[in-house]
Amino acid sequence: MKSTLLLVLVLSSVSVAWAAPLGIYQHGTVVRMRMGDCMLMHRGFMNQFGPPQAAAAEESCPEYTLVADKVVFLIVGKSSNQLVPLAEVIDFRFQNKELAVRVDDARHESRFAIKEMTLRSEWELVQKHIEYQLNDSPRQPVDTSMTLRSRE
Amino acid sequence: MSQVRVTFFATDENNHPVAPLTKSDFAVIDSELVVRNFRNFTPADETSLDVVALVDLSESVALRLGVAMSAVLQLVAREQSMPDDNIAVLTFGGTFEGTIGGALGGMQPAILCANGCRAADAMNRLLAVKSGGTTPLFDALLFGAEFVSHHRRAGLRPVLILFSDGNDTISMHSAREALDAVLNEGALIYSVDMRTSGHQSSKQRAGSTFLRQVSDATGGRYFPLRFAPNDGAATVLNAALEDLRASYVVTYDLPSHQAGFHSLCLMPTHNLNLTFHSRNGYYYEPSVR
Repeated sequence: MKSTLLLVLVLSSVSVAWAAPLGIYQHGTVVRMRMGDCMLMHRGFMNQFGPPQAAAAEESCPEYTLVADKVVFLIVGKSSNQLVPLAEVIDFRFQNKELAVRVDDARHESRFAIKEMTLRSEWELVQKHIEYQLNDSPRQPVDTSMTLRSRE
Repeated sequence: MSQVRVTFFATDENNHPVAPLTKSDFAVIDSELVVRNFRNFTPADETSLDVVALVDLSESVALRLGVAMSAVLQLVAREQSMPDDNIAVLTFGGTFEGTIGGALGGMQPAILCANGCRAADAMNRLLAVKSGGTTPLFDALLFGAEFVSHHRRAGLRPVLILFSDGNDTISMHSAREALDAVLNEGALIYSVDMRTSGHQSSKQRAGSTFLRQVSDATGGRYFPLRFAPNDGAATVLNAALEDLRASYVVTYDLPSHQAGFHSLCLMPTHNLNLTFHSRNGYYYEPSVR
């Protein structure tokens, strides 16, 4: 049992170690983060058909918008404390229908579920549309002086 | 262009403040948008603390009141060791023989001493407190915020050290109103949880959760009293001072002009062992020309 575990650990670390030099990683930038529900992660039989589980429903998981060269990903962590370092550029790769993100410049990856994938060109059009709507919608003029109510 | 100004500090995996930091160590998440372009990043300009101890005297903390008051007395004893610092003691719930302003305690929060708490009459008042009655915690937080507002001094960081079990029983104001009042004064809450150890009821756990949440929301910290019964005050005060020295201010352009509450949190860019402490949001209100 121990040797099997050791073998798995060695293989996984070797695969991560080889991924970087081989250029397997893609690069992207996280532009948005929010805490969403974790239900995407709990789609097992018991969760779908079992009794209501308030605890699972209440848990929130981090959801990131990751903008890559051609595609924009919406990825979701598997627990509330699964975080992505928010560096300007992060490394990631596909692994078994999930996205493995390189964490902390180390030989360590964190795997996220892919909730949505959009072509970057389409995503940018949608963003422009949202921005246009926000700017064009009737609203009160903004005083460009300091308008934050709070001290900070 | 409107700017957002956030004061913060970071702690490591052992909960110790981290310094120095650089602006590439973190990103700000402002209303879900990741902000990495900062206008300015400097050490905080506050040089010392303005401490207000807010002590729960209600019946629910009666068993721990002796320990808490001992901590408050330790805090007062350190007043002269902190140049320019001011320590005030406010209470809510409970009974005592006399207060500044003549109130006799109970439902209304009261000022036990506003400065010079080491004076004989102030010490007598501190020693005369008795537990009992209900817990107007949220009202007391508003009262504390108002006190901070009236006693504000430039260059000092207002800190509310809240000794309580976190269970409000009778306030006229809501938890949200209480938290907003504290946030508006820019005060940090360092809460000391007075709940008893051993088996915890769901009510006790809810109280602890509240204390943790208001501490986090203001950029302060949470301490269980049971972990440091003998040097509770020193632990909290040292933490507040260390946090002050490790604090920074970052400013950036307002990322969204949407009116209302903007949530705020800081996240590490490389080292995921870092935890950043700051207020958890601000209100933006576009003014009308």
